[in-house]
Amino acid sequence: MTALLENILDRAPLGVAVRIARIDWTAMSEDEGRRLREFGLMEGCEVTPLHRGSIFSRDPLALTVGRMKVIIRASQAAAIEIEPVA
Amino acid sequence: MTGAIPSIALVGNPNAGKSSLFNALTGARQKIANYPGVTVERKAGHASFADGRPISLIDLPGAYSLTPASLDEAVTRDVILGRQDGEKRPDALIVVLDAANLDNHLSFALELLALNLPTVVALNMVDLATRDGLTLDAARLSKELGVPVVPTVAVRKRGLTELLAAVDGAIGSHAAGGVTAPAEANDASLHQRARTIARAAILSETPVRRWTQRVDNIVLHPVAGMLILLALMFVMFQAVYAWAGPPADALEGLVGVLQGWVVDNIPQNFLRDLVVEGLLAGVGAVVVFLPQILILFLFILLLEASGYMTRAAFLMDGLMGKVGLSGRGFIPLLSSFACAVPGIMATRAIPDEKDRLTTILIAPLMTCSARLPVYALIIAAFIPNRGVGGTGIGLQGLVLFGLYLAGIVGALVVAWALRRTVAKGTNAGFMMEMPRYQMPQLRDIALGLWQRAWIFLRRAGTIIAMTTVVLWLLLTFPQAPEGESQVEYSVAGRIASGLEVVVKPIGFNHDIALALIPAMAAREVAVSAMATANAIDADGDEDAMAQSLGERLQGKWSLATALAFLAWFVFAPQCISTIAITRRETNGWKWPMFMVGYLFLLAYAAAGITYWTAVAFGLG
Repeated sequence: MTALLENILDRAPLGVAVRIARIDWTAMSEDEGRRLREFGLMEGCEVTPLHRGSIFSRDPLALTVGRMKVIIRASQAAAIEIEPVA
Repeated sequence: MTGAIPSIALVGNPNAGKSSLFNALTGARQKIANYPGVTVERKAGHASFADGRPISLIDLPGAYSLTPASLDEAVTRDVILGRQDGEKRPDALIVVLDAANLDNHLSFALELLALNLPTVVALNMVDLATRDGLTLDAARLSKELGVPVVPTVAVRKRGLTELLAAVDGAIGSHAAGGVTAPAEANDASLHQRARTIARAAILSETPVRRWTQRVDNIVLHPVAGMLILLALMFVMFQAVYAWAGPPADALEGLVGVLQGWVVDNIPQNFLRDLVVEGLLAGVGAVVVFLPQILILFLFILLLEASGYMTRAAFLMDGLMGKVGLSGRGFIPLLSSFACAVPGIMATRAIPDEKDRLTTILIAPLMTCSARLPVYALIIAAFIPNRGVGGTGIGLQGLVLFGLYLAGIVGALVVAWALRRTVAKGTNAGFMMEMPRYQMPQLRDIALGLWQRAWIFLRRAGTIIAMTTVVLWLLLTFPQAPEGESQVEYSVAGRIASGLEVVVKPIGFNHDIALALIPAMAAREVAVSAMATANAIDADGDEDAMAQSLGERLQGKWSLATALAFLAWFVFAPQCISTIAITRRETNGWKWPMFMVGYLFLLAYAAAGITYWTAVAFGLG
């Protein structure tokens, strides 16, 4: 990977599948963390960020997890470290 | 299980197609009420096994697990565990899974299976899974889970008989062991198991080029998506106007025929006047707006059922985030365009407390359908029915759009202010699953429309009829002496004269002052109140009777007054039900009182500014 910033989900380019390397659970509330896991967002899983924001702001982020598409906020995506899919 | 009718709960993740399955199983035999003490909607209905034995079904709010993140999900947990007041623990569960989303939905299913209740799994929307290139092995899934698994397509009524037969079998063969307390499962290991089982049940997975992704690329595009959303909203409000004309005229004609029939067949007496001038004039004036309300609900139901609503929430999240709300609030707020009461109830899905409170407080600023009768009457009477600059866009529809927009902008400003003062807190999160696109089902939409129509007509038959009758009595007594206006002379007229002093500076006349008080019961009563007053005023005068209410107002009001009246209704908290629901949802009188206070202030200021500006431009 090139720059260090690139390995944060919040900065990841759209349309490219990546693997979740690490999630900083302390950066979010317990409820938020549980909901992320309920969406299937866990260490080791593959996600593809697809849509980011609107004319108003770069929030939120839509990504696919498996066959499901979910919406999260940029602040949560910033707590998710990613690595390229092998 | 002898004697009592078995009760079966449908439970599953949001977007698993639970409600469609519930509709398919119960048809129109369902009842929407509230759980006692909480305002979460309780949907219950009846069905029967193949041999005719009746069963009762309840549709529980969608949840991701037995650990609730919102008030909705807490109800689901409490009902299943038998902890919900006034609700007996279900005798069996139908766990509804989205076939295309097994790996995620199985976690909750596993948690539910651990409870040891008679359970059947409905592998729902198998047709959509096939569309996505997925082949599933239901028998294998059943073996892994240890309970019957029935593939269903709720919208085509496929698999329903088999599903109920499996439920019957599960109840019959279940050893009475009682409900097991929910296991304190480590959720990571639960999700891991869910994924392993899902992988075993998926026979093949062919990647198909999904047209839905191409649609999302446009619909969720930062600029194009926003334009589409705006266009959709605009079409919706134009349609409310353009399509409702003929059916509304027909209803109006019907009311006229009824009035004529009563006048021709019943001798002149107190009761006849009450029926003709009170009930028929008042209730009739409100019922004619049924077509418009149904068109608005039709759009909302279609947007919801197609899966577009969550896309709209995605687009709006950025804007709503700027004022301290989240995209979650978009759905309650859009529902508030139909009625603030279900809108405020829908805020229960918002996890953040301050975010939720702010959304509740601004919900009445969304133009609810009860305001439509008022807007429609005034716009039809005062705004010329012509196109704007040779385009196909009607001026009347444009004014209506502007009124809706004024409410939205007002709401954003108020939310911004509230989040910096009384509802201060960290910026709320926004996490939501995006449902797949689906063709809305005629039956589900028709059922939803029927329920809304029924609620509206029941209101017209009770609250509105009652306030209209009371108002008629107050308008009729005491009898005015010869040569004096009955409306001015009556009890109601004198109260209105008192109120007129307060509202005169903002351009309101006696008619409006008279309409404002009963309109607290329900906004649309403002229309029926004016209709009743005018019917009494016109008593015996054939020409005046023949004029419509709009035509009569045209003769009496200035344009400035009419515009001020419209501006008032954008903000005024004119509805007791909204105040009551806010009290219940915020557990006390503090917030509803705050809401009423700030809304009245805004309404007074807005009407005043509108009136003075209009007068300055010579429209007084």
